[in-house]
Amino acid sequence: MSDIHSGGCQCGAVRFQVRGTLGTASICHCRMCQKAFGGFYAPLVGIREQADLRWTRGEPKRFQSSNVVSRGFCGDCGTPLTYEAPDGIALSIAAFDDPGAIAPVIQYGVEGKLPYTDHMSEIPARTTAEDVETAAFLASIVSRQHPDHDTDTWPPEQAGATDNT
Amino acid sequence: MTDKELTGGCQCGAVRYRVTGEVGYPHLCHCRMCQKASGNFFLPLIGAERADFEWTRGDPAWFHSSAPVRRGFCSNCGTPLAFETVGDDWIAFTHGSLDDVAAVRPIEQSGVEGRVPFFHELFALKETRSNRDDLPGGLEDVASTNRQHPDRDTNHWPKERRT
Repeated sequence: MSDIHSGGCQCGAVRFQVRGTLGTASICHCRMCQKAFGGFYAPLVGIREQADLRWTRGEPKRFQSSNVVSRGFCGDCGTPLTYEAPDGIALSIAAFDDPGAIAPVIQYGVEGKLPYTDHMSEIPARTTAEDVETAAFLASIVSRQHPDHDTDTWPPEQAGATDNT
Repeated sequence: MTDKELTGGCQCGAVRYRVTGEVGYPHLCHCRMCQKASGNFFLPLIGAERADFEWTRGDPAWFHSSAPVRRGFCSNCGTPLAFETVGDDWIAFTHGSLDDVAAVRPIEQSGVEGRVPFFHELFALKETRSNRDDLPGGLEDVASTNRQHPDRDTNHWPKERRT
């Protein structure tokens, strides 16, 4: 992978591009990452050179979570975007437009791993479309999420002019 | 599922909440909307009756990800906090923002059409503990200057404003 990797927040106010090869992809289970993401872990991928990262629309807002680390997020929609430490920047993997292409290779902070995290792929699973009770509601939804590719202008002139569901 | 009181909030502590009564349908949502909203592979959510749910400090900022749905987050630190269908009697809050995350266990995965292809392999990856030997002060420097709100309610926050 040596091309351009694009991504951004849910609303599209903040967009980024990473040029070149991405660094180490990981999930971090520490309690700081859990609470910052409101999730069970933080999936992050490192940027090899600071110059590889370019903010192409807007900039993250930042919260200094300790004296050495700050965490960037979109001030308009909240999407967690960065983990910034003296040794470099890492980006939220799922904020990339193609997160499936960035597979983590290591787990960090496992002292904070939740007792059920390793078993999440064993619980029952269903697709959105299988939920027949909400079919009418889902059909009525017009998404305001930014599409999974760069756009020249945003937001669209017409609400719902996005290829996301 | 559980009828004990649950508390939680964002990383910086500007927004805190309390849930009383029964919570329902703890699940992971893998849909692309939940992924991008949370910057994560899935968004773990827990439902509660709106009447049982109270914002006890501050209020979240809201982004309407579509007309009927809005997502709450802390405007100071960004933590994803809630998913709400406008006018609904239910609210869903983010599982990882609970003070005691392990107190509730997810029972289902939804939106699996968006699930990342390597999801089933994550648990098998090499495990390491937190380590910041790359910093002059090591992990201790992070721990001693941690600005994350503790995993319990506090009377005064942030600490420096305590009188």
